[in-house]
Amino acid sequence: MYLSLNWLKDFVDIPKKMTPEELGLRLTMHTVEIEGIKKEADKYDKVVVGKILEVKKHPNADRLRLAKVNVGSAVLDIVCGAPNISSGQLAPVALPGAVLSNGMEIREAEVRGEKSQGMLCAEDELGLSDDHSAILILDKKKAKVGMNFADYLGAKDIVLEVDNKSITHRPDLWCHYGLAREIAAFLGTHLKVVLQSNLENLAAGREADSKAIGIKVKVEDTKLCPRYMALPMTGIKIEKSPKWLEDRLLAVGLRPISNIVDVTNYVMLELGQPMHAFDINQVRSAKSEKSECQIIVRRAKPNETIETLDGEERKLDESMLVIANDERALAVAGVMGGANSEINSETTAIVLESANFDPVSVRKTGAKLGLRTESSMRYEKSLDPNLCALALSRAAEYIKMICPTAKVAGDFADMCDFTLNQGPITVDLRWLNRRLGEKIETRKIVKILESLGFGVEKSEHALQITVPSWRATKDISIAEDILEEVARIYGYDNLVPAMPKVEMRPPEVNAERAVERQIKNILSGAPGLAESYNYSFVGEDQLGKLNISQASFLSLANPIVAHQTLLRQSLLPNLINNIRTNQARFDAFGFFELGSVYFDIEGNLKKNNSEFLPYQEKHLGIILADSDQEKSSAKIKGILEYFLGRFNIRVDFRVVENKDNWETSAVGEIYGNGELLGRLVGLGAKLERSLGLKKSVAAAELKLPALLQAIATAGTRRYCQPDRFPAAERDLAFVINRKISYNEIKTEIAGFNSLIRSVEVFDVFEGEALGKDKKSLAFHVEYYNPEKTLTSEEVDRVQVALVQAMAEKFGAKLRDF
Amino acid sequence: MQEQLLKLKQAILDQLGRIKDINLWRELETKYMGRKGEFTEFLRGLASLSDEDKRTIGRLANETKKELEGKFAEVRSIIEGVAEAREADITLPGAKMDGGHLHPLTIVQNELEDLFSSMGFMILDGPELESDFYNFEALNIPKFHPARDMQDTFYVDKKNKEGEYDLVMRTQTSPVQVRGMLKYGAPLRCVAPGRTFRSENIDAGHDHTFYQMEGLMIDKDISLANLIAIMRELLNSIFKRKVNTRIRPGYFPFVEPGIELDFECAICGGKGCPTCKHSGWVELLPAGMVHPNVLRYGGIDPNIYSGFAFGLGLTRLVMMKYGIDDIRLMNSGDFRFLKQF
Repeated sequence: MYLSLNWLKDFVDIPKKMTPEELGLRLTMHTVEIEGIKKEADKYDKVVVGKILEVKKHPNADRLRLAKVNVGSAVLDIVCGAPNISSGQLAPVALPGAVLSNGMEIREAEVRGEKSQGMLCAEDELGLSDDHSAILILDKKKAKVGMNFADYLGAKDIVLEVDNKSITHRPDLWCHYGLAREIAAFLGTHLKVVLQSNLENLAAGREADSKAIGIKVKVEDTKLCPRYMALPMTGIKIEKSPKWLEDRLLAVGLRPISNIVDVTNYVMLELGQPMHAFDINQVRSAKSEKSECQIIVRRAKPNETIETLDGEERKLDESMLVIANDERALAVAGVMGGANSEINSETTAIVLESANFDPVSVRKTGAKLGLRTESSMRYEKSLDPNLCALALSRAAEYIKMICPTAKVAGDFADMCDFTLNQGPITVDLRWLNRRLGEKIETRKIVKILESLGFGVEKSEHALQITVPSWRATKDISIAEDILEEVARIYGYDNLVPAMPKVEMRPPEVNAERAVERQIKNILSGAPGLAESYNYSFVGEDQLGKLNISQASFLSLANPIVAHQTLLRQSLLPNLINNIRTNQARFDAFGFFELGSVYFDIEGNLKKNNSEFLPYQEKHLGIILADSDQEKSSAKIKGILEYFLGRFNIRVDFRVVENKDNWETSAVGEIYGNGELLGRLVGLGAKLERSLGLKKSVAAAELKLPALLQAIATAGTRRYCQPDRFPAAERDLAFVINRKISYNEIKTEIAGFNSLIRSVEVFDVFEGEALGKDKKSLAFHVEYYNPEKTLTSEEVDRVQVALVQAMAEKFGAKLRDF
Repeated sequence: MQEQLLKLKQAILDQLGRIKDINLWRELETKYMGRKGEFTEFLRGLASLSDEDKRTIGRLANETKKELEGKFAEVRSIIEGVAEAREADITLPGAKMDGGHLHPLTIVQNELEDLFSSMGFMILDGPELESDFYNFEALNIPKFHPARDMQDTFYVDKKNKEGEYDLVMRTQTSPVQVRGMLKYGAPLRCVAPGRTFRSENIDAGHDHTFYQMEGLMIDKDISLANLIAIMRELLNSIFKRKVNTRIRPGYFPFVEPGIELDFECAICGGKGCPTCKHSGWVELLPAGMVHPNVLRYGGIDPNIYSGFAFGLGLTRLVMMKYGIDDIRLMNSGDFRFLKQF
């Protein structure tokens, strides 16, 4: 929302030495965030007054003409399409670099082969009206060649831009009057004028004649329409508004339309009350008497339609409220008027509407119709029903002022059924000071509240506070709300910070979080991995390429982009993308990520009182890229062994029979201390190629809950004494069928005899020399007896038996080195 | 015997004269002069001679030994001298060490967790896929409340029995407030860092996925002054210097009063730049006193307890701390970015 400084000054004195920037800052610090401060003149930057010296036909286009225009500093060639230009005229010229109100930036250009060094502007291009029929011809008495167009207009206002998000809770601040009240409060002064409804007098002052129009209002749903006021006026002559009114509207970004519509907009911007004016002849149904006019406020009928002011045909439903006569809907209540009862150039009599509608209903209706208007935006915030009378009175007065023939033509209608809780709210001063954290003088507190319109009665330790009606709709209802009023006007920056004084207590440790941090620290250390954070979403294409079925995936109801529509169930698809986007720049590299995955099954966290959220858990993903599969695969297993070893977890990798559909090679399961923790994934050359991967990728994914469990049961590492006797190490290489896994052989050796302390593979070899389908596995086997020094004979005895057992069990042959 | 001795001496001297390397010197020294060295053995062999022979050759042997030892020492010092004179360029860089990298968000989150742990705050976690109830309702934001406009919400395409979308990607870490209260009751001190979502289009300043850290303290007579003190402490601790701040009103339905702490833009030093939308200030810490309705949702009696809550923009803080000017880098997996941390 835009605020005009001049407009604010109608209601509050702002010290002369206070700059607009200072005022903006004070507003930000006490009331609402001011996002920007602009001079109104800046809108017309690089737009100057030019004199048309000559006009020629464009040689290549019938509709275009060439004008020579003197802009003071130069004579420019300008191509123009408007029909009304002729030499001698003065007109606004947008010079190269000017940015017009529609966002168009003016550049020097060629139009059909002719140079054009600027643009002659019509009113719409300058944001002055919707008129695009002709170039704006300026008043020769006021305009001088070369003068800034802003000076010609007298655009000297300053405009403050309010962040609308900071006033969603303040129905009273969507206007100049409300913000002027705030300014007065923090400046410690008073409003210059306190506006009051003059409706009774306006109605009484009308000539008692037989032509009086009786407005009858029937409100069928008082919950959705707590108040409806209407006033008939005749003698209306639709014209352009006077300059002062147009200037105000233009300054805050509204296009003037015509006097009556402009007044309704003006009152809305002044007081925050949306208004509407109907052409009375369109409201009055064919059946009714000339002296009568009936308005019905009712819910829309099923499948009822209305053409709104923007020319759109809108389909309504029974949840929506409409303003109607006995034949048809005339407006969507609080959202937009209908085209059928619109003010037009022939209008001579009107009904002014000033009403209050239910905020939720307006909001729902607006959302359903996809219509968000200046009016609906205000109603959604819960407007004060008392405001209707003041606004109606102001509007009638303005209309009489700018349209001298206009008359109030009958009594105003006022259907109201509302109650406001204006308190009083009891605020204990000792409580207030404790919540602030410091003592503010009661005198100051009272002054702050009174300047904001609160009624205050003092007793020894408490204040009885009456809430002004414009704050009583929703905004202020409890003592905490009063605390806020005092604190913000006093100034939060004026409070002295003080650390809380509480009982000392060590915090309960979040074991999971502690382990997460350890994991990250380990992986970002020796393994040399970079921690990646990827989005929680994946796309259908992405999964399709990986042959992952997306049937079980949760999806977003309102995704923004096509490649992020589904909730991830694995970290690997996005980690694979990380490899692809970096592969051109780096040789061997890797990432890890610790993040959540989401499943379409019921989890263990409550959704509300009775149901549960979808299951979510954290995963740890690791991915590596290297020049060949053997390297990346060996490295990732090494990383897992190192990293889990740090948690005292012994790792083994097992063959998995039931491969997931997308893992096509080198797939295995990762076991830690005998429990399944996750899986190893190799994509295989074919999938890597189709994914555009130029490296060999190895990946692993572990489930954090399983990992946490394994860590919890692994216990603390125990110290082992150094050997007291020498150990004996022998190397053995077995030639076996290549189908037999390392795990089987290793387990057999390790468990063969109690003297065998450790078994470590140091060479794996496959080759023609070994024979078809054979491989060789070479081990260091360590023998140790904690009681005494082993003799060669003892070791040999065990080894002979071992070799024999291996031959019997696996058909293993000992290989000579 | 004497001849043998002289021959050995000459052989040693010849070899010693040729070497220029300290390792070869050591080999030579061990070979001849060591405990089992040839010259030592030779001397040891003299023990079996007659006393007279010992006397004649003994002296020579001793002199030879001294001479050789002197010569060895001399050669060593020459070699070392030469080595010193040829000392490598000390300004050359060292051997490259490869290590991994923590994400900058992790680094700052760890610092914050440590700070708050030291002040007795628990570290809590909450689900990223949240219910409408915890994300909005329990935070005093009923359906059709205008404040829902402030947050563009990702809904999950799964309707409840009433045919409504009631699952959201949490728009804030604040739902952890009520979950924490229900689990632990009062008094309570906790922070909850985590991932949050808004359905916004992405550009250098906006991302639909970002991180916040919720803070909550509930006890008897917690005040605004307490809140302000904790917030300032937080910033000074992250930036390791005194940071200029300002505190202004802010509206969030789950706090009353609600405030916003801005701090002076660290990118431009307060002069105004695109990151701070040319205001010189960066919105970082929406906060306030916990609304009594929210305490009630959390099962806590607002007549006994009060508290404050804040929602730190963690991603923005990280950007400010390291001078990162494009938020998209955070979720990019760009190794050029990640390897700098």
